[in-house]
Amino acid sequence: MKHSYDFSIEKIKNLSQEEKISRQKNLDLFYKSGFPTKQAEDWKFTDLNLILNKNFVSISNEVNPESNETLEIIKNFEHNYIFLINGKIVSKNFAHEDKSKISIKDFDQKETTNLDTDNSLTLLNNALSLGGFSLEITKNYKVKKPLVLYNYFSKELKNKILNNKNSIKLNEGSELVLIDYNNGNIQDNFIKNTIDTVSLNEKATLKNILIQNSKSNGYFYKNIKGSLEMNSNYENYILSSGLKLSKVEIEINLNKDNSSCSIHSALSLQDDQHQEIKTRINHNSPNCKSYQKIKNVLNDKSKGIYQGKIFVEKVAQKTDAYQLSKALILHDDAEFDAKPELEIYADDVKCSHGSTSGSIDAEAVHYLMTRGIPKKEAVKLLINGFLNEILEKITNSELKIFLEKILERQINGH
Amino acid sequence: MLKIKNLKASINEKLILKGLDLDIKVGEVHAIMGPNGSGKSTLANVLSGKNGYETEGEISFDGINLIDLKIEERAQKGMFLAFQYPLEIPGVNTNNFLKTSLNSVRKARGEKALDTLTFLKLIKEKAKELNIDEKFLSRQLNVGFSGGEKKKNEILQMKLLEPKLSILDETDSGLDIDALRVVADGVNSYKNKKNAFLIITHYQRLLDYIKPDYIHVLSAGKIIKTGNADLGKQLEKTGYANLS
Repeated sequence: MKHSYDFSIEKIKNLSQEEKISRQKNLDLFYKSGFPTKQAEDWKFTDLNLILNKNFVSISNEVNPESNETLEIIKNFEHNYIFLINGKIVSKNFAHEDKSKISIKDFDQKETTNLDTDNSLTLLNNALSLGGFSLEITKNYKVKKPLVLYNYFSKELKNKILNNKNSIKLNEGSELVLIDYNNGNIQDNFIKNTIDTVSLNEKATLKNILIQNSKSNGYFYKNIKGSLEMNSNYENYILSSGLKLSKVEIEINLNKDNSSCSIHSALSLQDDQHQEIKTRINHNSPNCKSYQKIKNVLNDKSKGIYQGKIFVEKVAQKTDAYQLSKALILHDDAEFDAKPELEIYADDVKCSHGSTSGSIDAEAVHYLMTRGIPKKEAVKLLINGFLNEILEKITNSELKIFLEKILERQINGH
Repeated sequence: MLKIKNLKASINEKLILKGLDLDIKVGEVHAIMGPNGSGKSTLANVLSGKNGYETEGEISFDGINLIDLKIEERAQKGMFLAFQYPLEIPGVNTNNFLKTSLNSVRKARGEKALDTLTFLKLIKEKAKELNIDEKFLSRQLNVGFSGGEKKKNEILQMKLLEPKLSILDETDSGLDIDALRVVADGVNSYKNKKNAFLIITHYQRLLDYIKPDYIHVLSAGKIIKTGNADLGKQLEKTGYANLS
């Protein structure tokens, strides 16, 4: 497909000569490898090049979106928001907060041009990145209401790729619930390639919830890189069902003592949807905790993948790491692949991992049916229960009810 | 209400019920007693519609051929089976399950679904009658419940769904004396002239609390003796061995 790429740096407005050169270097490097194939270990279950070849005739970068999307505000819970179209800030509202404590601006594209990577999607992002945001919360400020990032998309995205970079920084003792909310029933095939850099200073807490609100022919790759300082906490929830393809790659560096992170995902995939979650948790310091619970329900010909690695440095004694993936496979053509990995160099650690997959419990279905519940509904009740479990630790009850509704809708195929 | 004629049932080509007859009329309480392996659980399973059984013969429930009904339709038409081993179902909230169950049955009966508030009021009342702590209702279905709590939960479901025929499969097993009394009181308070009960049990114990009109002895897949409540007491003394 190489011949039908149409990636143009020239079309990107207001670039300095220096930037153009740097972006071109990245693009040249990208061209050398192209989109990742299954030959790359990190992509062995998601042959992106093959998938894109099948579903795209050509790919070009979006530079001039024209859009007049109207924002539909979520009414279920009070929140602040940033409205983004194709990853670029359109408007924002922090009515519930002390505005001096929150800084939000367009991402400074000069910030990162990292060439030292074997991830060709990062190179492509470096070359073509537009829009994006930088968010920073002032020391000790606990953001009162969740912040929703409304991600809308312009029309006419067919065969386009969007590249964004975002940066999220929480200073010492600050707190934030950040909801990444993808909206819009998009019919056209398009690609989104996003890099989020998360930095949590001492005692900062970030809850990061990823939601796909509708069915979409989007092919999304999201790369989250987090670094955590002492006593900070990162919690991630992935509810991305509905996308044609999604790969969420999360690398968390627990850099200082007593920092902790958790990753929870609940996916219900239909048709030929393909979703991968790939994590790498680096325990770089003693007394850190990590927890991962990945749940998949797979219908039709869908495919779910979990690759999770826990890496424990020699100094990281008293590490407490947990990792579990569970899949319910509802059709013969559906598939779940799991690759759990532990790499441990410290000797006083508690690490456990497990992976199970199976079909739905026939005895449980029978029991529910004897109570007058039709089979289809009984199965749904069980699936709901299976996935809902990951929301246990959400304490805000309005938010929890909202997330339960999203999950229910995702289970019903939106 | 329930008429069974010459019922034969086999599983994995093994014949378990070998021509069973039973006639339960409205307002009656029947007990089926019998040793292990006599086919008691098979009878309960076949009546509930459990997969895997091959059957022959007739089962008519309220004039309808039961074999033609789907599992959930049996419940919707007023049959209830209290399980010997109620299942633990992780992730499924008890209240949510009870509401879905009740509303499925109501819908089939052409009644309006209850909204959450009305339902909660109703379920709290019923739970109180059975000494069930409200907090159990917000827990995952039967997960971590004691044997007694699970059985009480079955009786709660019975009282909620208001079936015409209740089949209690070894409901007394795993119950201490206090729980047994609560369960029996629950059954007795629901018993009336418009419904009927089939109590399947190994021991006389439960029948001290729920008085049956008829006792049938099931042995090797057939009913070999039928009598009144005294038969149970006699069996307790002499055992099943002397009957056949």
